[in-house]
Amino acid sequence: MILSRPLRVWRQRIRSLVHKDNLDVQLGQEFAFHFEQLVQENIAEGMALTDARLAARRALGNVALLEEQCRDQRRVGWLQDLWQDCRYGVRMMRQSPGFTLIVAISLALGIGANTAILGALRTALLGNVPFPDGNRLVLLRTYPEWNPALSNSASIPDYLAWKQQSRSFESMGASIADHSRDFGAEEDGRPAERIEGHGFAPSLFVTLGVQPLLGRTFTEAEAEIDHPAPVMVLSHRLWQRRFGGDPGVLGKQVRLSGTNLTIIGVMPPDFRYPLAETEYWVPLGINHFQLQGSARFFEVAARLKPGVSVQQAQAEMDGIGDQLARDFPDRHKGWRIRVQTLRDAWYGWMKIPLATLEGAVALVLLIACANIAGLLLARGAARRPEIVMRMALGAGRGRVVRQMLTESVMLSLIGGALGTFVAWGALRALLQMNPPPAAQRMADVVVDLPLLALLGLLSTVTGLIFGIGPAIACFQLDLAGPLKESTRSAGSPYRRNRLQSALVTLQIASALVLLIGSGLLINSFVRLAGFDLNFDPSGLLTFEYRIPQQQYVRNMGVFQGAPYSAIDPSPTPAIQRVYEHLRTMRGPESVAGISHPPVNGLVLSTMSFSIEDRPTPENAADRNTFSAVYFLITPNFFATMKTRLVRGRDLNDFDSASAPWVAIINETMARRFWPGEDPIGKRLMLGVVSGERPREIIGVVRDIPTRRDRSDPLPAIYASYLQQSPAYRGPSANMFGQMTFLLRTSGDPMSLVPEARSAVADVDPDHAITRIQTMEQFWGGGMRDKRILAGVLGVFAFVATILAAIGIYGVMAYSVAERTREIGIRMALGASPGKVLALIGGRAAVLISFGVLFGLAGSLALSQLIASQLWGVQPTDPATFAAVSLLLIAVALLACFVPARRAIRVDPTEALRSE
Amino acid sequence: MPKPSDLLQGTVDLLILRTLSREPLHGWAISKRIQQLSGEVLSVQQGSLYPALHRLEQSGWIDSEWKDTELGRSAKFYALTREGKQQLEREVDSWNRLSSAVGLVLKKA
Repeated sequence: MILSRPLRVWRQRIRSLVHKDNLDVQLGQEFAFHFEQLVQENIAEGMALTDARLAARRALGNVALLEEQCRDQRRVGWLQDLWQDCRYGVRMMRQSPGFTLIVAISLALGIGANTAILGALRTALLGNVPFPDGNRLVLLRTYPEWNPALSNSASIPDYLAWKQQSRSFESMGASIADHSRDFGAEEDGRPAERIEGHGFAPSLFVTLGVQPLLGRTFTEAEAEIDHPAPVMVLSHRLWQRRFGGDPGVLGKQVRLSGTNLTIIGVMPPDFRYPLAETEYWVPLGINHFQLQGSARFFEVAARLKPGVSVQQAQAEMDGIGDQLARDFPDRHKGWRIRVQTLRDAWYGWMKIPLATLEGAVALVLLIACANIAGLLLARGAARRPEIVMRMALGAGRGRVVRQMLTESVMLSLIGGALGTFVAWGALRALLQMNPPPAAQRMADVVVDLPLLALLGLLSTVTGLIFGIGPAIACFQLDLAGPLKESTRSAGSPYRRNRLQSALVTLQIASALVLLIGSGLLINSFVRLAGFDLNFDPSGLLTFEYRIPQQQYVRNMGVFQGAPYSAIDPSPTPAIQRVYEHLRTMRGPESVAGISHPPVNGLVLSTMSFSIEDRPTPENAADRNTFSAVYFLITPNFFATMKTRLVRGRDLNDFDSASAPWVAIINETMARRFWPGEDPIGKRLMLGVVSGERPREIIGVVRDIPTRRDRSDPLPAIYASYLQQSPAYRGPSANMFGQMTFLLRTSGDPMSLVPEARSAVADVDPDHAITRIQTMEQFWGGGMRDKRILAGVLGVFAFVATILAAIGIYGVMAYSVAERTREIGIRMALGASPGKVLALIGGRAAVLISFGVLFGLAGSLALSQLIASQLWGVQPTDPATFAAVSLLLIAVALLACFVPARRAIRVDPTEALRSE
Repeated sequence: MPKPSDLLQGTVDLLILRTLSREPLHGWAISKRIQQLSGEVLSVQQGSLYPALHRLEQSGWIDSEWKDTELGRSAKFYALTREGKQQLEREVDSWNRLSSAVGLVLKKA
């Protein structure tokens, strides 16, 4: 048979394993043959048969040894040993199922959670961007020099200059959110529907490297300045939903928000850019005013040339940014450019929470390891006779350690196998985390092959870590002692005791670190959830009514660096009709509206203002402080929100367009601009637009938080939606055509939805209401992540505490059992139960105090790492530190209670007789 | 260069491979043949012969087969494999290099 050598070698190995018995017989026959030949030779030399046999036996020597040497050549001995060890390990596990269960469960938790979080971190660091050669895709964003933590999009002058001057990129394209468009209700009964889409520079499709499924994308000519072509590309989802996947949809005209658009293409199902919700794309509509503007609303993506690194691109963009700032200081001064990989922009937000969680679960695994090591150590004491017997029979130390390690690795592999389920569940929980704006939810984290490999590796390493100490401690004992004496009073317990004490201290310390970490997070969460909102979120239904911006915003140019628009024809009458109609509804107790949702982290329109009889500051920086968040509201807004007016009055129906113009400000604004003064009656001038009139301040209200997670409130101005000038300077012209309505009811807010929907449809069938939710849902959305984080950490801290308690219980119980005789003697000699308690408790007290000390030190060092996740709590919050430490001490003492009670109940006669 | 301990082991391997290059033999015959060819100077003891045979077999240089001897007794015969022949050439080469180098040192020192 012709076989190549590796194949032959493998055949040999497999034969050695499978036909072991057969081979051993052959080996015996081979030596028998040799023996016969020797005998025959001796006979031929003239010996008698018996002498010949004797001589041959002498010549051949120790056949058993020889056979063993030949068997050793098979190089599968280790495998056979392993098999033996495994079978033995299984027997040991079946002997102590309780121990095995505890170990397997704690390992499953530790290993599973670690695997899940490392898997998610892998996505955060190496996540897949679903575009061809996605590693070369970057986002080009801007940030103001004074706050590098901010991240803005780009302005059109930015985009055009970058595109023209940079050499690092193969192609570049910009996108911007298209103002949502509405499909009107159609004759065949399909209801009005609002869809969200994006304006795309034609080059952006090239940059992203995607081809349409049907038809084509835009040509450069279709994105002509001021005259974008009336064409659109559909997402696969929209095509399926609204057009039933009809391939004849190409070339069809649809009417969207009063504009006719021709469908020219359909994108493949997995194309979702820039958002998962994007349902259509239209040519990027740039107008010639924006060519001069500095409003940074365009998201610029670019594809790096092959071989160009992000750092090189960043260096080039820094140069371009500096040059722009020199050439056009009023537009670009003070702004810098950031080159960020698309992957980082999408997934980077997870790094910090995931790293926090990973720290926590790594600690849990460490505690589990320490715990199991402690249990193994205690069990090792019971197994000492067995080990000593093995070593006396000639097993090397290495062989014994190997056997012990095999057992611990088997345990951890079982834990790892169970951990697969934990990992699967934990990943599902992690996927619930909400991404911040412009980032993406991680979607493609699954328990896949690399992750399983990681899990296997983690299990093996874990088993080795918790197994090595006990394995070594096992044979560090003198052979003669245990054989001579009984198992009870074993050789040198000190080394083992020291290791045990160290392990328990480690567990207590780690558990405390975890408890303090989660305590801080929970504390922060409670404060965040409970801090005074200054409004009552229960019983409020919110939804948005919006008229597309295209219908009323006319770009007039750029004034002092910001777009200047005419609001014409005014959308206010339409909003007023909806508002008045909603007020006739019977369900709600009160109805009001506000231009932006009252608690809103994303979009805040700010308004600059001046105060009558007060000089405007000369320099720009001071002038910039005269700005405030600006809201348009309907009458009764504060009554509906149940926000207390500190001074003055709410808006009412008499505050019409023709009445004197008024404003309501919040407390922060009052404090900042009229410290120690009454602002009521003072007059404000808003913006620098024609048609604006001075507004008298008629009320001061409590601060409604402008962001979900911010305590430092911003100054805010509230003005009637009816008292608005027909011109506006700034980037948020859309606020004039939108209203978030609030309906307060004593019942279930969602029960108002059908009535509210039809009330709006009565007045305006073409604009559907959107973002329907209760205020509590709206408020809670952002809190959920913090709740998940705090909750998950809390669970881990709980597990850690239980494990630490088991650990200290085990050590104390063992120590009491070991000293039963000593305690018996002491009691016989007249020691009081108190003395005995002190004897036993002394060690526990030392262990607990050292553990707590180390834990506190560790927490002081580590809690800084979660400082960014905390709100309203210092990372070294003394109350949390103290409370949590006391809790842990209490649990630890409780764990000592049972062993201690057993100690003082030792019956001296019983204890002494048993020896 | 092999270490001295390898040299000894390598020598046994070399002798076995060379002995098998003519025809398949069983263990007993191999030891007899080496003894005879070396003019009764070298004798490979079974203590090193059989482990070496098994090692060479595990390494794929030689193959084994149970066959009858001329006297009709069943014995385990070892034969060189194709790779074994190449291995033999390599070992002969390296042995020649070694022995001539040792010879040079002995002559010139």
